[in-house]
Amino acid sequence: MRRAGWLALGVFVVTVPWLLSAAVPRQQRYILHVLIFTAIFAALALSYDLVVGHVGSLSLAHPAFFGIGAYTAAILATRAEWPFLAGVLGAVIAAALVAAMVGVPLFRLAEHAFAVGTLGLALVTSVVANNWVEVTRGPLCVTGIPKPRLGPLAITTLPAFYWLALAALVAVALFYRGLTTFRLGRAFHAVRDNEPLAGAAGVDPLKYRLLAFTLAAAIAGGIGALYAHYLSVMCPEEMTVSLTVNLLVIVFLGGVGSLRGVLLGAVLFTALPEVLRLAPTWRLVIYGGLLLLVVIRSPGGLESLLRRTAGAR
Amino acid sequence: MRLALTLATLLLMALSAGAQAPPIRIGFASAMSGPAAITGEGVKWGATLAIEEINAKGGVGGRKLEAYFADNKAQPGEAVSAVRKLADVDQVDVIIGQTHSGACLGAMPVVKEIGLPMVIEACSHPKIREMSGKGGNEWTFRVALDDEIMAYTFARYMARQGVKSASILAMNNDFGRGAAIAYDAGFKKANVKLLSTEFFDPGQPDYRPVLTRLKRANPETILAVILASDGAPFMRQFRELGLTQKVFSRGSLGTAEFLYQVRDNPKIGDGVVEASYWITGLDPEWDKKWTERYKVPPRIHGSLSAITLKWAVVPAIEIALKKTGKADRQSIRAALEEVDVKDSPLGPIKFDDHHQAWINMILIEVRDGELKILEKVPTSPALLN
Amino acid sequence: MGAISGPPCDPDLILDIFEQLLHGVTLGAMYAMVAAGLALMLGVARLINFAHGEFFMLGAYAFWFGYSELGLPYPLAALLAPAVMVLFGIAYQRTVIRAILPRSWHVQLIATLATSIVMTNLAIIVFGTQPKEVPTALSSRVLDVGGFRMVWQRLLVLAASLLIFWGLNRFVARTRTGRAMRAMSQNREACAVVGVDVQRTAMITFALSAALAAAAAALVSPLFNIFPDMGTTLTLKAFAAVVAGGFGYVNGAIAASFLIGLTEALAGSYVSYAYKDAIAFLIMIAVLLWRPQGLFGRRIGI
Repeated sequence: MRRAGWLALGVFVVTVPWLLSAAVPRQQRYILHVLIFTAIFAALALSYDLVVGHVGSLSLAHPAFFGIGAYTAAILATRAEWPFLAGVLGAVIAAALVAAMVGVPLFRLAEHAFAVGTLGLALVTSVVANNWVEVTRGPLCVTGIPKPRLGPLAITTLPAFYWLALAALVAVALFYRGLTTFRLGRAFHAVRDNEPLAGAAGVDPLKYRLLAFTLAAAIAGGIGALYAHYLSVMCPEEMTVSLTVNLLVIVFLGGVGSLRGVLLGAVLFTALPEVLRLAPTWRLVIYGGLLLLVVIRSPGGLESLLRRTAGAR
Repeated sequence: MRLALTLATLLLMALSAGAQAPPIRIGFASAMSGPAAITGEGVKWGATLAIEEINAKGGVGGRKLEAYFADNKAQPGEAVSAVRKLADVDQVDVIIGQTHSGACLGAMPVVKEIGLPMVIEACSHPKIREMSGKGGNEWTFRVALDDEIMAYTFARYMARQGVKSASILAMNNDFGRGAAIAYDAGFKKANVKLLSTEFFDPGQPDYRPVLTRLKRANPETILAVILASDGAPFMRQFRELGLTQKVFSRGSLGTAEFLYQVRDNPKIGDGVVEASYWITGLDPEWDKKWTERYKVPPRIHGSLSAITLKWAVVPAIEIALKKTGKADRQSIRAALEEVDVKDSPLGPIKFDDHHQAWINMILIEVRDGELKILEKVPTSPALLN
Repeated sequence: MGAISGPPCDPDLILDIFEQLLHGVTLGAMYAMVAAGLALMLGVARLINFAHGEFFMLGAYAFWFGYSELGLPYPLAALLAPAVMVLFGIAYQRTVIRAILPRSWHVQLIATLATSIVMTNLAIIVFGTQPKEVPTALSSRVLDVGGFRMVWQRLLVLAASLLIFWGLNRFVARTRTGRAMRAMSQNREACAVVGVDVQRTAMITFALSAALAAAAAALVSPLFNIFPDMGTTLTLKAFAAVVAGGFGYVNGAIAASFLIGLTEALAGSYVSYAYKDAIAFLIMIAVLLWRPQGLFGRRIGI
């Protein structure tokens, strides 16, 4: 896109809550809330796409890293009274460490076993979060997580949080872009598309998968920290296996392996249900049905649909 | 000429439509999906029935009520979304909810920020009482009793029955964990020895391992913090193993719903004593209407929502309309502080400085497929000493 | 903590341990029936079916419908469940499976996960959230042997499951279809060449897998209860068993399932009841760390 195009997009995205609330007045706070969630889930989905889309490893462990990051930040902020950015850093490091540790044995497994192994990790961390009450307070949740402070700046209002979440999303998107282009991106794709050939060409699949897995976990941990500070409570239910389902829907509906696709998927997935106002159970039926259709008929998701229409013209 | 007539008719119609006072919007938030969805289902049924009842009588002060529902999935994060949706999108004037303690705690700061009164029908965390009211969160009110109030009273009752030792079996969620903490303190105060505490995941139906653990700990009694849908398999397996402890419960074992689940052999529930604040029979008219409409016995959370609506929120709306002519958020909030209902099915509803209503506690015994009220205990802050 | 007192050979302790063992074996039998079907599909058709637990759930509701709503006697209702699920399995195979079978296992996993979500939530809409209880004569009568008590239904679960496993092994070893299944699990391409009806064998395997899950449901439902979410944890544990037993090796999955059931019962009773559900995965992780190709090593075929 040309520079003017990027500028216009930037201005739009920064002001979209006010544009939307002009159309539906009195709903501004709700719109901001939905958009904050959208930005957070978009960033999380991008980190997930690094593993699923770019190295082709179907990991089901992402909720574990999100949760580890969220709880680390929550506990550091409430019990140790660490400042916000330090807590986020702690969250990122904790998640990355766990990923690196479990990644080594996990990636030795055959593909199916890897998927189930990551599922096991997600389940075990969820059970630990729910029962290790001395640390996480279990179902009673970690409460009173303070609002973020960036030096002298206190993020206490919804618009301020929206811009913070947006900034985080932009940072993640840039990082994602950087990781998936240039030589590193080509190495990832080589491992994904033809592992034996990649190995023969000197690209160690294990090393690159582990790298993508750890980086993705680090981002997920950071996003988890942001989420915990937004809600000011962190509970075990926020990191259950069903979060994986949401991420799969976003990534596959939007377009696995594509920045634009995943962003689109996140917007659709978070914003659309609010517009449609369906009963929650029916909503899940529709997600499941959509995911099924998309994964069978159009595995490239919306992104491939968009590309096709653009190409057809 | 015809154009003028049409315009005049349209104008008249518009005017008369505006002349009808707008309906008052009531929001209901509970767990409409996820593992706790059964509570939200009950709330939806109860709210629908109650609002129909009220509107059939002409509404409140001539204004009809409209119900809006939101899903908090029993989680604080979703509770925030639910409150914002009800407040901003549905423009409700008052919320009744959130049924689950975690969701209540998550919602409380948001209703304060928005300035929307919330009347809590079932959350049992003691912190809610501490944080609400004058000098705290002035927008939250609670009709239900919390676990601290009930634990002290129930533990003292158990001690009066001669109980010397107990074990707790509680749901592994905010309700169960909170109750376990409260009863730990309550047992200490009542000089009942707490031998062990076990937690189970709601929905998992294999109680055999924990029943053998309980057998080994050998308490005189078991305090089960459990809902009816889990309580049925639990009591079946309790009988299967031949355990003889007396079961005291806090949840919904002493309910028609539980009896319905064990209707093949009602003796399964015999002897269970439950501490609660609601039972079928407090409002027989309501029970009948529910059973006719929904074909199952009345459910606790739905009935609590309905009672909260009819005996706390509606009187507040009446007061607000009388005083200010309006039923908006501020006037309903102020009016709630003046509500003084002596004879609701739950007992007196009057909010103290912590916006807590001191309703009656009921001790219920399950026997021969029926529920019997053993004691009705009026509550007051003095019970906490 | 009020632990059992007395010398090591205390009869109470022996009885207690025996009780946990028997309970663990019964649990294991339930897991094994579900895991066997999963392993079968993996071995024969290379299909990952994340909706397998929902076959169990739907089988349970089919049983409930026959037993509670239609009033059929227990044996008939218990046979109705697998019969219904065979038909459902065939329909599912013709629609969803046929579309995803030639695709990568990523697609299979996500597609079957999606159908699992659809089925669970449709079950909530159709049957409601309140669990259904289906007590039977055998699940209400208690067998009391010297202080050790269990309802007769648990014995039935054990006996029936052993019979089913024996029958399954005979079927796979002796019948033509069984041989075709084994052949397909060993070398699918060669099968088509040799004249094995690959499509038909796959369909029969799928129907058999669904029937196994439904049979387990009909046996176990009277002991517990029936609710729409009941298949989710079961799918996860079945996968844990299949992976630990060696992907696609049916008897391995069965053995791993019994191991999981026993450990759950013993650890749940003696160690920690709260962490009980994580046990299956901890076992699987431990096995994979020790022997990445599963307990029984890399095997060809089911």
